[in-house]
Amino acid sequence: MKSRYLFPYWCRFLGYALILAHVPVVVFKQSLGFDLNHGPVNNDLLNSHHVFFMTTTLLMAIGLFIVAFSKEKIEDEQISQLRSDSLQWAIYVNYVLLIISLVFTNDTEHILFLNLMVPLAFFIIRFRWVIFRLNSSLSREG
Amino acid sequence: MKNNIRVERAIKNITQADLAEQVGVSRQTINTIESNKYVPSTVLALKIARVFSKPLEEVFMLEDGD
Repeated sequence: MKSRYLFPYWCRFLGYALILAHVPVVVFKQSLGFDLNHGPVNNDLLNSHHVFFMTTTLLMAIGLFIVAFSKEKIEDEQISQLRSDSLQWAIYVNYVLLIISLVFTNDTEHILFLNLMVPLAFFIIRFRWVIFRLNSSLSREG
Repeated sequence: MKNNIRVERAIKNITQADLAEQVGVSRQTINTIESNKYVPSTVLALKIARVFSKPLEEVFMLEDGD
C-alpha cells in the first residue's frame, strides 16, 4: 500500500524549524507587551496586530502540518496504519474538546485556536509515541 | 493469525533486517508480524511467502477465533 500525498522525509525538520521559529517570536512579543496597546479598534485586515497574529499562527500551523504529514524514513504499510489510527484518535480528541469548550465557554476566538492546534499536535504526539514504542520493543528483543 | 516466519528465517538463515529489505518494509514491521502484533496485508504476506519459496498457507495460518 503506497501512502500518497505526503511530504518528503526532510520536510519534517523544516516543520520543526518553523514551529521552533514561531516560539521565540511570540514570547518576545508577549514580553514586550505589544498585546496591551491595540489602540482604537481597527477592523482593517492590515493592522499590525492582525498581521502579526496571522503570520505567527500560519508559521506554527504550517510547521505542524508539515511535521504531521511528512514521510517516515521507511514508509511501509504498518506506518500508514499507525498514521490513520493516530488521525482517528486526533479527530476524536479534537471533537470532544471542541464540544466541551462550546458547552462551557463562549470564547470563540480561543476555540478556533484550539481547533487549529489540537488535531495536528495530538496527531504528532500520538504518532511519534507509537513509533517510539515500536522501536523500543525492537531494541528489547534485539 | 499465526505465522512461522521466525522458523522459516532460521531455516533460510536470514535476519529480520534481511527479510525486511527483501520485501521492502522496515525491520519493525517484520518484528511485529513475527510477534503477532501486526497482521500484514495480503500483498506483504505473499511477498514474504515468496522469499521463503513456500505457499502462503505454510507461512501464515488462521487461528481459532479468526
